[in-house]
Amino acid sequence: MATWTWFHRLASPPHVYAFARRWTPWFGGFAGVAMLVALYGGLVLAPADYQQKDAFRMVYVHAPTAWLSLMIYTTMAVAAAVGLIWRMKVAHAAAAACAPIGAWFTVAALGTGMLWGKPMWGAYWVWDPRLTAELVLLFLYFGYMGLRAGIEDPVKADKASAMLAVVGVVNVPIIKFSVEWWNSLHQTATVMQLGKPKMDGDMLWPLLLMFVGFALYFITVLLIRLRAELLRRERNASWIREVVA
Amino acid sequence: MSEFFSMGGYGRYLWPAFVLGFGIVVLNLVLALNSLAAAKQEARRRMEMSQ
Repeated sequence: MATWTWFHRLASPPHVYAFARRWTPWFGGFAGVAMLVALYGGLVLAPADYQQKDAFRMVYVHAPTAWLSLMIYTTMAVAAAVGLIWRMKVAHAAAAACAPIGAWFTVAALGTGMLWGKPMWGAYWVWDPRLTAELVLLFLYFGYMGLRAGIEDPVKADKASAMLAVVGVVNVPIIKFSVEWWNSLHQTATVMQLGKPKMDGDMLWPLLLMFVGFALYFITVLLIRLRAELLRRERNASWIREVVA
Repeated sequence: MSEFFSMGGYGRYLWPAFVLGFGIVVLNLVLALNSLAAAKQEARRRMEMSQ
């Protein structure tokens, strides 16, 4: 019973708007602290790697951005599916809010990866399965945003873009497992694997903390963008008057 | 200090990567706040027009 009450509240734009407004500073504050401590841990406290030396510290910016690019797409696809199945407007708004954030973090993952690739592989770019699939992810985000922008009717735009988001989610496991399924220059998983991570504890804790910081940061930015989406979509609703007055 | 910034000779790749990554972190926050401010302004304008 309580679950259904919670689910119904999640479908209510004014309730979601109020929740987002209340919790954004908390998520943002914790995200900032986690990222700063993780940066200090990764750049100052963690020892250099025996093979990659100090270049390994790239992991503290590359891995969280790459992980976030996938997590945001998955969140977007789940929200889009919920919007399609239950015709929930808030879910479509959440999916739309995810897209620009995800696209930016895919750019960050590709850019930081290129800067790590040059000293390690001798090239900024290779048509490796992991890199190519990540590039496809960027085009999926662009496709999603382009489709939304190209359809004037918001209901049709929600439906068409949601279908693209759901179909495109097939790319997420392809990116994740590409390093195992095909011969790849890219290293295999060091943290996100079954059993014990391959990293030493002194290197691992700043990375795990950075993941937590990036996750909280994503929630922060998503809640801000979701509020903007709800204000635009619910422009004729009476509750808007109260929140912007 | 210069040893820290040189990062064993990898600084020329490492620091641009951090600037890019965390620059996008800051940029996304600014873009989201701008989008919210614009949506609020638009809502206020509609309210004034309807009165």
